[in-house]
Amino acid sequence: MEFQPKIIAFLCNWCSYTGADLAGTSRIKYAPNIRVIRVMCSGRVDPTFVLKSFTEGADGVLICGCHPGDCHYHEGNYKCLRRYHLLVKYIEQMGIRPERLRLEWVSASEGKIFAEIVNEMVQTVKALGPSEVKTVVETLT
Amino acid sequence: MEEVKIGVYVCWCGTNIAKMVDVEEVAKEIGKYPNVVIARDYKYMCSDPGQELIINDIKKLGLNRVVVSACSPRIHELTFRKALEKAGLNPYLFEMANIREQDSWVHTDRVEATRKAKDLVRAALHKVLFHEPLSERTVEINPATLVIGGGIAGMSAALEIAGAGKKVYLVEKMESLGGMMARLDLTFPGLESARDNLQLTVARVMKDPNIEVYTNTVIRDIFGYVGNFECIISPNFKEDISLQFGNVVVATGLKTFDPSVIPEYKYGQLPDIYTSHEFEGMLTSGRIVRKDGRPPENVAIIHCVGSRNRNYHEYCSRVCCMTALKYANQLRSALPEANIFEIYADMRAMGKGCEELYSLSSRRKIMFLMFDQQGPLPVIRKAGSRDKCDYLITLQEKLSGQDIEVPADMVILMVGTEAREDAKEVAHQVGISMCGNAFFIEKHPKLDPVATTTNGVYIVGSCQGPKDIPDSISQARAAAARILGTIAQGSVTVEVTTANVNEELCCGCQTCIKVCPYTAISFKEEEKVSFVNEILCKGCGTCGSACPTGAITCRHFTDRQLINQIEGLMRMDVEPELKEV
Amino acid sequence: MENKPKLKLAVYWGAACGGCCVSVLDVHEALFDVIAAADLVFWPIALDFKYKDVEAMPDKHIDITLFNGAVRNSENENMARLLRQKSNILIAYGSCAHMGGIPGLANMYDKASLFRRVYIESESTVNENGTLPQPRYEVPEGVLTIPEFYNDVRTLDQVVPVDYYLPGCPPQTERLVEVFMAVVKGEALPPPGSVVGAREKTLCEECDRKKSDNKVIKKIYRPWEIYDDGETCFLEQGVICLGPATRGGCGARCIKGNSPCRGCYGPPSESIDPGAKMMSALATMIDAKEPEEVEKILEDLADPSGTFYRCSIPASLLRRKMIT
Repeated sequence: MEFQPKIIAFLCNWCSYTGADLAGTSRIKYAPNIRVIRVMCSGRVDPTFVLKSFTEGADGVLICGCHPGDCHYHEGNYKCLRRYHLLVKYIEQMGIRPERLRLEWVSASEGKIFAEIVNEMVQTVKALGPSEVKTVVETLT
Repeated sequence: MEEVKIGVYVCWCGTNIAKMVDVEEVAKEIGKYPNVVIARDYKYMCSDPGQELIINDIKKLGLNRVVVSACSPRIHELTFRKALEKAGLNPYLFEMANIREQDSWVHTDRVEATRKAKDLVRAALHKVLFHEPLSERTVEINPATLVIGGGIAGMSAALEIAGAGKKVYLVEKMESLGGMMARLDLTFPGLESARDNLQLTVARVMKDPNIEVYTNTVIRDIFGYVGNFECIISPNFKEDISLQFGNVVVATGLKTFDPSVIPEYKYGQLPDIYTSHEFEGMLTSGRIVRKDGRPPENVAIIHCVGSRNRNYHEYCSRVCCMTALKYANQLRSALPEANIFEIYADMRAMGKGCEELYSLSSRRKIMFLMFDQQGPLPVIRKAGSRDKCDYLITLQEKLSGQDIEVPADMVILMVGTEAREDAKEVAHQVGISMCGNAFFIEKHPKLDPVATTTNGVYIVGSCQGPKDIPDSISQARAAAARILGTIAQGSVTVEVTTANVNEELCCGCQTCIKVCPYTAISFKEEEKVSFVNEILCKGCGTCGSACPTGAITCRHFTDRQLINQIEGLMRMDVEPELKEV
Repeated sequence: MENKPKLKLAVYWGAACGGCCVSVLDVHEALFDVIAAADLVFWPIALDFKYKDVEAMPDKHIDITLFNGAVRNSENENMARLLRQKSNILIAYGSCAHMGGIPGLANMYDKASLFRRVYIESESTVNENGTLPQPRYEVPEGVLTIPEFYNDVRTLDQVVPVDYYLPGCPPQTERLVEVFMAVVKGEALPPPGSVVGAREKTLCEECDRKKSDNKVIKKIYRPWEIYDDGETCFLEQGVICLGPATRGGCGARCIKGNSPCRGCYGPPSESIDPGAKMMSALATMIDAKEPEEVEKILEDLADPSGTFYRCSIPASLLRRKMIT
């Protein structure tokens, strides 16, 4: 059977979550591998959540926020951007492929784009294969 | 300690969910979890009988947590929270799993969609375990209003609010009221006197006993929150005065584009090249002449100067096309024999009476020449001694496809508009945000174009984006109506899912202070800990993720809740933990 | 006090540098109080007891064991299990037992690459046959054994249940004496699993440097790259300091020596990962909005893992570098 990755997505309430809802109301189909966690702002996404997702067995983590300049809370998405870049650097150093963590800006009107991002990411992660993090951590326990 | 009792409700949404998700199976599976007292599936959870089902279960089974798995929480979270409230349960002991918009409607494989639904419900279950009761807070509204900016928008808002008998403080930076409109001669499309209309408005403002006007006044600082703002102003740059008010109208307007940065137009290098605003002054004075005193025989009006051009501003400044037509008509009347050229990129004649002005102009011997905004701009140069004009403008005329030269003795540059240099300062003072072009951002571009994401702060007129006079006035009056509405209510509800500092953990590093876009976090010097003013806090949670100690809790989205939610998503075999209520 | 039976105290080292044992010796004059109240029943670095002496003890015979050092090989693990069985209270003493410590940095490699480096490639090594340590080796005289070197470094609590953690690299001796005297006096002990001998609040609270809300980083500096004024918060000078995310209790020793905090006391109670919160805080301070600018500033942060998890890789959520 083909490998079905599990991807955890953190979406900000005002842009990206609404964009994902719009994909629904527009009946745009995308891969079922994504599991969404709603936060009010991408600025709420603590690196801890991303690392925790990986250790719990997520094969990929997607963070979506409002486009730069459009943050509902002014600048939360910039904070997210900075953390994302540091996190990518860290996970790469820890032997996790950086493609497994993705940050995208999705506005409330970009349902189609959200669906495309999900499909694309599912493809990328499928090609990478299952994440090794959970297995490695489990053998250690 | 009370046992956690969770009720889980899986909605069919008719066939919307049930067609793609096996709702019965989801309810059956989730019902196996130890703290789940009841797990039901039902046709329409949001319907009255659906809500009654929850309310009855809460009362009969003593539920103290509820999970509804249905549509997006953006649609029905409030509905179900109200149902909980009706049943006497705190509305925040509730979590929703979105299995419609983000599941049944977007997937095509029933097995996968059902599996996803189970994961999402399990995650909600894990999260709701750690939910805490939260209580809503209201704050009283000071009925006075501060209006920043004494242009036509600011004055219109002030008059509307004062007309309802409420106090208004109108603060203007310049020496007199009027703003940009005071620089206009006639208005388009009706060619009425701007000055007459403006003077009427200024006189009404000055006479209104409810409006306190402060001209030549800068605002030093604004603090507080919706209902209870305070500012320090320095009238005439002298002693400071403090004002108290409940709402703010920002009407700071815009400024005109400086064309000297466009090399092709040689503004400031050749004498008879004017900006539209300089020309407006000429019209007001009634003498349309060159610098040497002779009337021009050829006048060229160039459109889109600084607008609709990626090198300058990408947006359309909205008022220039019609102003240019106004000029052409005024020129035609003043100089019946002159050649008048409208060099435009795209004629934007949107709005009442504007297209009519365009067709009228085209019948008045005005030459319309089009250039391609994507291509090279027209170039102005000094004419030779044998030419019968002062300047020559070379351009690729788009409609004919030919390179042509246009004679001119006077060139009017229809300069675009842009945000003021002090926009950032204003935005920071009142806690609102700016778009990429430094115009202020409204709360919702379609549904809430006058409010901002900061409660009690409204934006009107062209500080929000280029606008003509009637649109500015409409927006100003809309904001006034909104403000009068909150004043009539007497109080407003403020965000409850706010951040909060655990003083036992806060080390006083002050990382969080500048993170807050609403200046809700301050530092208590004596205790050496941070403090969140929860009335200012909007609950974005960014400070919570910036806090290195874990001292900041973001209510309803706590670390514990979100980490548990992640575990719930991923751990199919783990039972949720018990927790005291 | 004379009527009370003396406490039986053990100190053991796993994968450690010895600094923790020295910190126990550093009790100086307080040693007399300790000895008055306790008998040292096992302490390989200082006293000549054998493992068989410990094996011979009845279960829970030892009142308190201070286990320092990480678990790196089979000897460390066996002793951890043995001492757990023989001790009433097992304390993970120092950063290595608590979070993996400096030995934990080896989790950025695997056993094969570590052996290759140490026994084959290192500049001072001549090993033409490529001989590597074997846990078991037969010679004519019999079988030789040495402990098995594991692929991963683990914290003590990843091997056996731990009652308390007394953090630090090494722990501040005063904190040890405080904890010890509290036990001697029979004071109520905190719930098992607690960190003792460290504060709930993080280091900034006891750091004397001037702090403001001006936490804006335009460039990240190594400590030697700045003219430290000795007064301003390191972070406000662009130097990474883990103080805000590290428990206090050490007395800000490093900072008093004009060196930023490296995090040896570990994270406060709310953090489930020792480095993520500080990574988040630091990234938040970066003064840039464009991805390229952010990356440019982060170029000066060459080793995020070694910076934010210097003493704690094995205790982090990721535990180690993924090498498959």
